Amino acid sequence: MTILRMGYVHARVTDLARAKDHYANTLGLYPTLEDDGKLYFKGWDEWDHHSVVLEEGGVGAIKFGFKVDQASDLDGIEARATAFGDCTVTRMSAGENREVSDGVRVHLPCIDHTFEFYHSMTAVGLEVGTHNPDAFPRHLVGIGAPMLDHALVIGEDIDTAARFFMEVTNFYTTERAQTTLGDDAQTIAFWLSSMQKVHDIALLRGPNGKLHHFAFQMRDWNDILHAADIFTMDDVPIDVGPTRHGITRGETIYFFDPSGNRNETFAGGYTSYRDRPTIVWTADQLAKGIFYHAREIKESFTTVFT
Amino acid sequence: MGRLTVVGTDVDIAMKPGETILGALHRAGYAATSGCKRGGCGICKFDVVDGAISYREIVADTVLSPELRASGTCLICRAVPEDDVTIATRPESTVRCVAPFLTALAR
Ligand code: FES
Ligand SMILES: [Fe+2]
Repeated sequence: MTILRMGYVHARVTDLARAKDHYANTLGLYPTLEDDGKLYFKGWDEWDHHSVVLEEGGVGAIKFGFKVDQASDLDGIEARATAFGDCTVTRMSAGENREVSDGVRVHLPCIDHTFEFYHSMTAVGLEVGTHNPDAFPRHLVGIGAPMLDHALVIGEDIDTAARFFMEVTNFYTTERAQTTLGDDAQTIAFWLSSMQKVHDIALLRGPNGKLHHFAFQMRDWNDILHAADIFTMDDVPIDVGPTRHGITRGETIYFFDPSGNRNETFAGGYTSYRDRPTIVWTADQLAKGIFYHAREIKESFTTVFT
Repeated sequence: MGRLTVVGTDVDIAMKPGETILGALHRAGYAATSGCKRGGCGICKFDVVDGAISYREIVADTVLSPELRASGTCLICRAVPEDDVTIATRPESTVRCVAPFLTALAR
């Protein structure tokens, strides 16, 4: 059973027109569908129909989709999730999400977030094609974000949620933040991976149902700096960066979409392996873990979310 | 245009048309509690003590409930004063001067 990646984020925005301008013209995602009050986007280096769905009304996350390798993987997820308990498991039919196959929907009350597992999505194709492709599309817009990378969600009982991802969907913990190294330590955050990315999803302890950010994978540090320049030109509020995370070693910028949802551009980070030792960060060094250069916790990082 | 004052501080700024409260504070060299600057996180709540504000952008009810709006709470990152307005900090919010030379320009 393999989860391939976080395939989509479905988020709320207050104003679809402004959101479209941000995600299409600043982030450079390709609009693939506008239907029933929802906007669908994909990055140029993605082949499935969409990785971002935006819906008007409110702010924050509605749900996250994970693509599994085989349709038969869904049976295992359904069975293990049901056995896991502490969650609502439902089958979803093909087309319930536009262009997405049938799947399994799981709501985790311990963090009040919804995750969907699906096995296929309408193929749209890489923007550079598959036959003798160029390195990137010649006329990228804005920062030209290639693809969705991961999300950080917030909830009260991240221990149960992390256990769900490890036991039900076979993720492993690449990094973990906790109060101390002692046996009675409380966890603060988990970074979880399915394959070799440094994280597919991260969990941060805090109020239930909140979105901290969803991130787009950039090629390298140069593209991160370039993205920050574009954000200034487009008056995008930058929260933090460009800088490096101690955690994951990723290079980053946090910024906000026009509804106040936090986005991230993420590059680098090491290649992880299932048998790589889990990295542990203690609370006294957490600031270095989060922002490797400033080594100070920025209040907004820990208190601002949607 | 009206003026912006903040109770218990020396803030007294001549507002510009269409300017948000946070935009005016920044222009006048003040730092104020804020987060997303886009009306989504609700961190920048201040109390409107006198005067009226309006929003040029949609602010979600989940961020600022109708009850809070009615009781005079505003999001300074999105609130645009109609005329003279006086606001007050809440226990969790602050305003402080970080560039006095800008303050002098905005009087
Ligand atoms: S700063 Fe986030 S709502 Fe004003
Ligand atoms: Fe991230």
